[in-house]
Amino acid sequence: MSGPSPVAVTGVGCLCAAGANLAACMESLFKERRHPAPPSRFETEHAIRYPVFEVSEGFFPPELPEDGQLLRTSRLALAATLEALHDADWNPEDLKGLRVGVCIGTTVGSAMNSEEFYRDYRSGKRPEMTPIERFLRSNPAASVARYFGLSGPVQTVVNACSSGTDALGLAASWVRNGLCDVALAGGADELTRVTYNGFASLMIADAEPVRPFDLSRRGLNLGEGAGMLVLESEKIQQVRKAKIRSHLLGYGSACDAYHLTAPSPDGSGLIRALDEAMQSSGCRSEDIAFVNAHGTGTPDNDRVESTVLGKVLPRTPFLSTKGFTGHTLGAAGALEAAFTIACLEAGRIPASAGFSKPDPVFPIHPVTREVAIEGRAALSQSLAFGGNNAVVIFGKEGPQ
Amino acid sequence: MTRLSIRGVGVVGGFGCGLEAFDRALVSGVASTMQVTPVPGNESVLRSAFLADTAPLEEFLNKRALRRIDHFSRLALLGSHLALQDAGMLGAIPERVGLVIASGYGALRTTFSFLDSIIEDGDSCASPTHFSNSVHNAAAAHVAIKLNIGGPNLTVSQFEMSVSSALLTAQLWLEEGRVDHVVFGGVDEYSAVLGYCWERFLGSESTEEMAPFDLARQTALVGEGSAFFVLSREETASPYGAIDRVSLGHLSGGLPILPKDPVYILGADGHRQCSAKYPELVPQGASVASYAPLYGSLPVGQAFDLAAAALAMRDGRLCATPGHVAEETDWQIVGTEELGQRDICCLKMDDNGGYGFLTVTKGRG
Repeated sequence: MSGPSPVAVTGVGCLCAAGANLAACMESLFKERRHPAPPSRFETEHAIRYPVFEVSEGFFPPELPEDGQLLRTSRLALAATLEALHDADWNPEDLKGLRVGVCIGTTVGSAMNSEEFYRDYRSGKRPEMTPIERFLRSNPAASVARYFGLSGPVQTVVNACSSGTDALGLAASWVRNGLCDVALAGGADELTRVTYNGFASLMIADAEPVRPFDLSRRGLNLGEGAGMLVLESEKIQQVRKAKIRSHLLGYGSACDAYHLTAPSPDGSGLIRALDEAMQSSGCRSEDIAFVNAHGTGTPDNDRVESTVLGKVLPRTPFLSTKGFTGHTLGAAGALEAAFTIACLEAGRIPASAGFSKPDPVFPIHPVTREVAIEGRAALSQSLAFGGNNAVVIFGKEGPQ
Repeated sequence: MTRLSIRGVGVVGGFGCGLEAFDRALVSGVASTMQVTPVPGNESVLRSAFLADTAPLEEFLNKRALRRIDHFSRLALLGSHLALQDAGMLGAIPERVGLVIASGYGALRTTFSFLDSIIEDGDSCASPTHFSNSVHNAAAAHVAIKLNIGGPNLTVSQFEMSVSSALLTAQLWLEEGRVDHVVFGGVDEYSAVLGYCWERFLGSESTEEMAPFDLARQTALVGEGSAFFVLSREETASPYGAIDRVSLGHLSGGLPILPKDPVYILGADGHRQCSAKYPELVPQGASVASYAPLYGSLPVGQAFDLAAAALAMRDGRLCATPGHVAEETDWQIVGTEELGQRDICCLKMDDNGGYGFLTVTKGRG
């Protein structure tokens, strides 16, 4: 391994059901406010109206393109990017002369699955190509690069639910290796009828508000949102002397190679990803102040995470923030990275929403109330369809 | 940056399955197409397409193992098995191997099969199998499971830039020492809906023969397939050569520095809007080839360009550009000729001014 080589995070932006920006989200988290509700933007035939966490239309900045021009996923990514750039004190015009890369994780944002178009196609009509043209305009990384006039590398990561975490780790590698001066990285995903039906078909959607790690957990609630970070090279930092919010200290990823939709029961892939992230960050276990777990509320995911954290970081407090956001799929890792940075700055973590009754087979359990944290770093992890596991570690300071 | 030694190549496409079939197509300049009917309910509209047969996958995996695995993932499984076999690593895959897959559109057929299940059976009876296999990284999951690849696993979807973008990550993984080898591939499939989209966008300009260097004409024919590679840090020279440089960006940031006097294998595949961009980067008088008439137009066509470059390095000769070649061009169109000491630059451009290129050089060590 190349050893610890932190990358500075100078800006953070996010939006989800918990709030229109990072500050609003953190207020919701610490005040333990959450508002899962049946979907309002589409109807389904399900007897159970599974709750979801939707982003209010009023959360989008007014300067963004109208809904018809871009997929909602790209609009979410743009909204979070605008906040992150503002937070980093970047005038977007000033980015045009630099090598700026864009790396974004998604699931829905890369899928050509317009249901309305396809229903017309199947019924023998000759549907207009407007939905396809919108899809072709809406590759998330390309959309962000085009909107801001950026000319660096672009990459849309489609690693299912670990996409956002992977995008952050990969973008840090771009910066570290001189491929770009600045990277805009994160994840974005919208809620659709198609994914709603998909997760219902897998029978892992909870009819009640999601209960990560709780004995009574029955599955996930879907959500939507985006999280974006601004990562900067040392060269740019020296010129700008911008405020550094955090450092991306380490990243690790590994595949279970076990099952398409279920995690390996022994968590072997997650353990390898954690090992790699810890090693590349230069952190010891006592440096980790807390873990922002994937914590979907599905029986399998939460069992594996608790088992692995019980082995690797048994004394480290952990939580799931999906009780506030729902599972935002490709955005989840990036949103949770934003929350991780904010909690590390605040020196405290909120209660793990939805958790109250411990599962007796779990070796460790999430926090049930707001907790003050100690340690120079924090860890966020994601597990995904396909057996992917990804871990990022953020630190208050650079190399020790 | 680390040079990526090409240790094995596996391809399947309209030209057939495996390197021998691909080599025959390159030498003969001929690959057969099939007819598809892109207009639902109208069998009289026929278009040519380069379609791939995955039946040879049963040489590696039995039918039971392939149950519930769709065409898209089978393409990836076949390409990856062939590449590992070619590298002498099948059945003896070392530790510290990563997997990177590029795809422009993902598992299109299964994406629409899932919608079929919703429309035909209702929301409550949607197919969980189709849903889980429609996720873009399903192919990477199946490859990892069947080949027991437990290292980092990545799927990238960046339309025409998918291959360059994904290859950038493969190179970084080796550069940073995360892995010792990367199984890298590009895969895209044809679906009836894709055919319909092509017909709506391009139908009035349909053609039966691709002419990549008639830059002003629309001559694209749809293709599908997969092209996989085993890439390693260069410790000994491989006959396929090595990827020396990977770069992608946008022309708005200025013209990139291209390698000096290479042979260009252009991703020009008959799409007029993309093809019009190549003269902005490729200098007059440059030696250029396009082999898209052997595998058709697909977002990950650049992976096939890379396979053609690897074979040219291995054999020390270039094959003539197949299909109809324009008589008037500012470039030197490659014929059957010696490669000599030249490098090969595989360049792909999209219709927005995005570019991605990779340079293949002779192996060292």
